[in-house]
Amino acid sequence: MRAVWQAARAAVRRRRLQTLVIALVVLVSTMTIVVALGLLDAATAPFERAFARQQGAQVTATFDAAKTRPGQLADTTRMPGVAAAAGPFDQAVATLDQPVTVHDPGPVTVVGRADPAGPVDRVNLWSGHWATGPGEVVFSSPPGLDHDGPHAALGSRVTVGGVPLTVVGLASSVSQSADAWVSPSQITALHPTSVQLLYRFAHADGDAEIRADTAALRAAVPGGALTATQSYLDLERAVEHVPSAFVPFLMVFGILGLLVSALIVGNVVSGAVVSGFRHIGVLKALGFTPNQVVAIYLLMVSVPAVVGCLLGTALGDLAEQPLLQQIFHGVDGAFLADSLGLSAWVNIVALLGMPLLVVLAALLPSLRARGLSAARAISAGSAPRGGRALGIQRRLSATRLPRSVSLGLGLPFARPGRSALTLAAVVLGVATVTFANGLAATMTAYGNAEEGNGSYQVEVDTGRAEFGMTPPTHTDPQIQSLLGSLPGAVQVTATTYAPARLAGHAKGLNLRAYRGSSADVGALVVQGRSFHGPGEIVAPPGFLEEWGVSLGDRLTLQTAGRQEPVTVVGETLSGDPDYVFTDWSTALAVSPTLTGRQYLVRLASGTDVGAYGRAVRAADPGLRPSAKVTVNAGATTAIASSTILTLLLGAVAALGVFNTVVLNARERRRDLGMLKSIGMTPRQVTVMMVASMGALGLAGGLLGVPLGVLAHALVVPITGRAGGIAFPAPMVEVWHPGAIALLLLSGVVLATLGALIPSRAAARLTIAQVLHNE
Amino acid sequence: MTSRSVNEAAANGATPKVVVRLEEVRKEFGEAEALAGVSLEIRAGEAVAVMGPSGCGKSTLLNMVAGLDRPSSGRVVVHGEDLTGLNETGLALFRRRRIGMVFQFFNLLDDLSALDNVALAAQLTGTPARQARRRAQELLDELGIADRRNAYPAVLSGGERQRVAVARALMNRPALLLADEPTGALDSHAGEQVMDLLLDLNQIGQTLLLVTHDPRLATRCANRVVDLADGRVAGERSLERAG
Repeated sequence: MRAVWQAARAAVRRRRLQTLVIALVVLVSTMTIVVALGLLDAATAPFERAFARQQGAQVTATFDAAKTRPGQLADTTRMPGVAAAAGPFDQAVATLDQPVTVHDPGPVTVVGRADPAGPVDRVNLWSGHWATGPGEVVFSSPPGLDHDGPHAALGSRVTVGGVPLTVVGLASSVSQSADAWVSPSQITALHPTSVQLLYRFAHADGDAEIRADTAALRAAVPGGALTATQSYLDLERAVEHVPSAFVPFLMVFGILGLLVSALIVGNVVSGAVVSGFRHIGVLKALGFTPNQVVAIYLLMVSVPAVVGCLLGTALGDLAEQPLLQQIFHGVDGAFLADSLGLSAWVNIVALLGMPLLVVLAALLPSLRARGLSAARAISAGSAPRGGRALGIQRRLSATRLPRSVSLGLGLPFARPGRSALTLAAVVLGVATVTFANGLAATMTAYGNAEEGNGSYQVEVDTGRAEFGMTPPTHTDPQIQSLLGSLPGAVQVTATTYAPARLAGHAKGLNLRAYRGSSADVGALVVQGRSFHGPGEIVAPPGFLEEWGVSLGDRLTLQTAGRQEPVTVVGETLSGDPDYVFTDWSTALAVSPTLTGRQYLVRLASGTDVGAYGRAVRAADPGLRPSAKVTVNAGATTAIASSTILTLLLGAVAALGVFNTVVLNARERRRDLGMLKSIGMTPRQVTVMMVASMGALGLAGGLLGVPLGVLAHALVVPITGRAGGIAFPAPMVEVWHPGAIALLLLSGVVLATLGALIPSRAAARLTIAQVLHNE
Repeated sequence: MTSRSVNEAAANGATPKVVVRLEEVRKEFGEAEALAGVSLEIRAGEAVAVMGPSGCGKSTLLNMVAGLDRPSSGRVVVHGEDLTGLNETGLALFRRRRIGMVFQFFNLLDDLSALDNVALAAQLTGTPARQARRRAQELLDELGIADRRNAYPAVLSGGERQRVAVARALMNRPALLLADEPTGALDSHAGEQVMDLLLDLNQIGQTLLLVTHDPRLATRCANRVVDLADGRVAGERSLERAG
């Protein structure tokens, strides 16, 4: 055994470059797998993950403090069926005077709580410290969502219910148990009128069980004491549709990542063993048994592979959290952000799977070498000569191509197995690039349409007195004409919301009405047309599906004592399924007291948005202008994640090419020396080695591009269905001849990048040493 | 002096041109000194054999002349070109234009036929494939192995492989043919054939520099022998060739 270990150590020392390549390839591959699986894990059931992580409350109950005694509430935590509980916490609804991260000025729910931990609802305090003293408050906010510098929420002074407080922390609760938390002593200053308790039950798997649990709670306290309950299932339903839209394409990247990594690792490891056949023959000649030889080679590749795997898992874990935070930045709420974390199963898969793959990849050629006699193993150590390879070289010799190029083009045929594996990796690399490219084009078009880019630049909201804001001094029509009269304004559209019902349905819906241009809706219409007059509505795909409505259907909108017939004339790209779009007069017909709540202002080209905003504030302090958000968070997430995964997969595929060139150059050292001795210049050597991979790159492009296009065509509609988006044909058919040509070349670029360094190293080979070491 | 150019030069009363000039060439590999100040001249049409025991610096000297390695100090001038001033590309172009090399183990590309192996040397200079193959065919004809032109190295005998290697070395009409133990890997019959070939080449004017252990090769093919010992020229002698 000692001899085996010593021989393996010597082999590792002698093959430093190869050892480094194995370690590097395994490292990057493991990292890719950890990130790809981590992405999949994060995007799959994020609420459940966050809920489990935070021991979320299955029921958040609010009790009227005046109708219960503390002892009664404490008894509810010990009821049969209650698995865990937290509270009671005093709770107040108070008015916030200024925006704090996601909270607008207005009423906020504040809870007095001594610490963020506990048996239920372990609040994620991601910035600052918990509010433990007087004058301190912690606000809820999705992780990472705070400004830097003077606009930072942390440290800012706010007034809540007339009480001045300092924001000392930012935290998120998957149970959405409060907008803000203060210490139990501080809450008394806010005059709490209710008490919060957070429960987990033994049986809470469905709505029926939650209803039964809630009924038991209600029965345990005096009548009317339980004023509100919030089920975790309702929260889950509200947030799950957003991340589920990402699952299909993350799945594609995850699968591509696994395939490319497995292929490359298999190629690198088996190549290392095959290139060592000569050495295996020598070991046998020295007296090593066949099993010892196999053991030496397994050890030789396992040592760097295990090191690469450990480092890759650690680096993948390190990269995953900030990477996922970055990728999912802006996607709805704290839920997904809170779900992002290291999952043990991802690391277990990587730590067990990768070494297993390495051992399997090494075992097959090792067993082949085991069966060879010493003499045959030695002679098998040089590059093989096959009949087909010879015929191809003969034909290439007769072409008009530069000889260095034609020699290079013939090289892959000398090692067809290795070349096939390398080609497969390049094909998958190109397919990834193509798919990511198509996805980016689709998502950019979607993001632009969704944000109505170009149709308006400024949104102006009105201050609402009931939330403690300064109301505008102008009336609704006056505001619209005032905004239109300010310098730079080209068009002003008033919008508002009106609740209504559809005749025959119990569930309510909301009308979004426009007075003026509805260009931003028009840009979103993917089927039919936008509304042009009274009695017409445009609806999102989710609405059509959920309410069983088709284009052209006539519906009746109802409010108390009023009804209005409408026709569905168009379908939007996406949108909340409970909202439909219509013109002002239609909304006015069901809601006569309608006034504008928001004004969309299109500015002349070159107008300073900031200057326009200042002019609005000066004209009426009750108006609250803000620049239109032009970046769509969903599109950004899709593009960012696909870019990062494409870069990782591209790097792995390029490393595969790198390794193939290293092995080819190593096996052909004698040939390279001879070619240089008869006058092949270093540049010609580089060209030859790069050409050998360039051919694979071109073939990879020709095969990979259709594969990527196919993946895009299959996955985008699935993503759309999962996310409630009806991608129109122009957003799916994003392929142009120029782009396709560039993508075809991406295989050549990938192969060239991977081949360049080892090719240049081959060009610098010392001829004298090679030719005389026979 | 039996070669044509040397004889012609003597007949004309002129000294043949110097093809190789080594001036105080030293080569160190770490602490070891492979060449310790070798000076040597080889004139056009000469056939010079460098002999000596293993490790005396024979192959290192050949590498210096071929531009395969660089001296630690001293100058190597071949056909008027100072190799010490050339970069790697310059050396490659020099080898392509000025020298042909024959190795002990042939160093043929196994996946090219005999004809393509020979043509390769010309194709690297940009000669079109058809023209290069025509010239390769002529050389294989001259060396008596035209019938083996489509055979691959694996099926050629040792002597045939070395003839293909010689043809390849002659492809670009080099000023100097370098041979490193050209008969070292051959049986006696094949060795004889290669010796005859080298002798014939020299007799039609090809300048030769041989490195060999084999006194038979030296006496058969060379008209001057340079003895090396411990990296130095230990002696020189002119020979009347046996052939």
